[in-house]
Amino acid sequence: MHLAVSLNIAAASGQAILDFGQISSFVRKAEAAGVDMVIISDSADKPSSSPFEATTLLAALATVTNRIGLVAGASTLAHQPYNLARRFASLDIISHGRVGWNATLRQNPREAGNFSRPEGFSDDDFRRRAREFINIVRALWIGWGRDALLFDKAAGRFHDPDMMHPLNHVGEFFSVRGPLNVARSPQDRPVLIISDPAEADLDLASGAADVVLIEGQPSEALKVAVGDLKRRAAAIGRKPETVKVLATTSEPGIDSLQALLESSGCDGFNFVLPADVPGLHSFADRILPELRRHGITGQSYRGAALRSHLGLAGGGDQ
Amino acid sequence: MTRQMKLGAFLWATGHHIAAWRHPKAHVTAGIDIDHYIQLARTAEAAKFDMVFCEDAAGLREANVGIASQTSRSIGFEPISLLSALAVQTSRIGLVSTASTSYNEPYGLARTFLSLDHLSGGRAGWNLVTSASPIEAANFGSTGLKPHADRYERAREFAEVVTGLWHGKLGASGHDGRSFSVRDPLDLPRSPQGAPVMVQAGASDVGRDLAARTADVVFTAAQTFEEAKAFYDDLKGRLAAYGREPDDIKIMPGVAPVVAETEAEAREKHEELQELIPDDVGVALLSSYLSISDLWRHPIDGPLPELPESEGMKSRQALVIEQSRRDNLSIRQLARHFAGARGHWRIVGTAAHVADELQARFEGGAADGFNVMPSYFPGELDAFATLVVPELQRRGLFRTEYEGRTLRDHLGLKRPV
Ligand SMILES: Cc1cc2nc3c(=O)[nH]c(=O)nc-3n(C[C@H](O)[C@H](O)[C@@H](O)COP(=O)(O)O)c2cc1C
Repeated sequence: MHLAVSLNIAAASGQAILDFGQISSFVRKAEAAGVDMVIISDSADKPSSSPFEATTLLAALATVTNRIGLVAGASTLAHQPYNLARRFASLDIISHGRVGWNATLRQNPREAGNFSRPEGFSDDDFRRRAREFINIVRALWIGWGRDALLFDKAAGRFHDPDMMHPLNHVGEFFSVRGPLNVARSPQDRPVLIISDPAEADLDLASGAADVVLIEGQPSEALKVAVGDLKRRAAAIGRKPETVKVLATTSEPGIDSLQALLESSGCDGFNFVLPADVPGLHSFADRILPELRRHGITGQSYRGAALRSHLGLAGGGDQ
Repeated sequence: MTRQMKLGAFLWATGHHIAAWRHPKAHVTAGIDIDHYIQLARTAEAAKFDMVFCEDAAGLREANVGIASQTSRSIGFEPISLLSALAVQTSRIGLVSTASTSYNEPYGLARTFLSLDHLSGGRAGWNLVTSASPIEAANFGSTGLKPHADRYERAREFAEVVTGLWHGKLGASGHDGRSFSVRDPLDLPRSPQGAPVMVQAGASDVGRDLAARTADVVFTAAQTFEEAKAFYDDLKGRLAAYGREPDDIKIMPGVAPVVAETEAEAREKHEELQELIPDDVGVALLSSYLSISDLWRHPIDGPLPELPESEGMKSRQALVIEQSRRDNLSIRQLARHFAGARGHWRIVGTAAHVADELQARFEGGAADGFNVMPSYFPGELDAFATLVVPELQRRGLFRTEYEGRTLRDHLGLKRPV
């Protein structure tokens, strides 16, 4: 089974704020325990208390870890697709293929107000825009052929011109020529994560996401949700096992997790951790060893890339 | 203490010379090798440089695929992620990245640079550019490159919002302007250095005014002492109008040294690089800075034709035209010259010669420091660090130890209240 931890870096008011040393030491412990990935949240609907924005923090974490997957949240409102695509492609190269994008699909009113969209979007416009955004990003990520870079000094051929593909996207909300000015990343595409999709986002989630996170719910409901996502994936010709469903939980009762895993058909769990040092210590020092005792973690990483840890199709080193 | 010069190490993948990547000693996979960059930043830090500096473009540098494929410039790291990685792999050197006011939103950009500032303990800077290339524009909509004046109008408002957010001075009603609206204060704690350093590249008349209003550091291109001096005096002269003092801005022209133990070795090294430039690549690079698409139609051994005033980089266009007239250069000669450092000042020679030249501009009141643009990496940065820096230090022109912790400390800039 797969294990992710979500780190909400913004502390509740009154709590001490996490510094880089504390965050990186926790992530390294999670790495030592074989956790597949850590997911760093970005701005929430309430003011953050963290000194860090998620993608910059991720780049720094990439240089002090070796194997663990690193995922950052980033919203489609706060970025332009071209800029976001190259930030994550670049992060994937920096981390040697361990990066993922948690595409937030909820419209955050605070964000709209701060990003020159005081009136926000209607739900329907927001959804169509997010879908277009995500599809542009995914297409930009594979705009360079795998072996496009030749590095041929003598012949003066840096890259193969035929392996550089413009996108020429003209859509409802965006128009993007491409290609990206960052090389194809080690995983071909950084891992795409969609969390807690609403009914209307299920097709996008099952069609485009590598990992879908769904809110903790009772066993029966979870089983229905997992089955639904995998069926939708199969219906459009994806292998159902290439969509990983990690159910999100904040309460790690190990026995019930094992039962939930078996009964619901989900692929693993995502623990949501608070941003306080005692909480992180307790998770790392008490819960992780217990998970290991139950054989839930502790297997060593299969390869170097996040896609390999998750057993996903695509680039990397699986 | 006597006045000392500021030095930036301008990093650019395989090197600043357009043909750098073909040089036998250039690290050809630099654009996908993070360890290469960590090494460069550490080299610059060991030599006590004020900062490393990264350029940026939100798109390819060259539209013609055939030409682009003969250069290394179509791929590289996105600089904010790159510098965030370098932030925790270095401890003293400043980290400055270029980012466009045309293709970002001020709230997001202010937040991202402030995060870099926290990661680095107060060593971040933002180089504000307005983006002059139609190739970039095509990645952000279908309406093409906006006119120069509109880009700068947007940039002015953008800078005002970003500094307002950094200084905690955005009022209770937020900002509601022509291009942007922002409701809340920034949701990150105040910068360890008061506010990240504001750098600006862009030297047209409006560009200078914007710099005089907001910049802490100005990066510029100048060929001759007279050009550099005129720019320096003009910009410093504009500060009073904004209630600022001449020392509030550090002017750092780019310089591309080719340095070796002997004069002959340096010349040989320079020639070796010049030999590697294909003519069409040189002409294409020149064309992009002149904002003209059909330069290749003109006889390559003839003079530069008359050109309409650019909507791209006005200052660089003027610099190139001036040089072609002054030195009576053909398109081919101009292109080959330009390929070395895109119009920035080149010095070829020994460490003593390079130091003499830098000293003359520094003491002659034409520069507060220099942004060093090595022809190829890592060799030419190493050469500058091991040959030129000690020479400058012997002359008392450059620090032997960092004076403080933050980039503002290094640059001797006031901490904003
Ligand atoms: C020394 C120098 C360096 C520059 N570097 C960049 C850069 O890295 N990326 C970029 O998009 N523009 C760069 N620019 C140009 C800016 O985009 C500038 O805002 C452009 O609009 C031309 O400005 P000007 O007409 O005021 O000179 C640079 C300009 C100068 C003078």
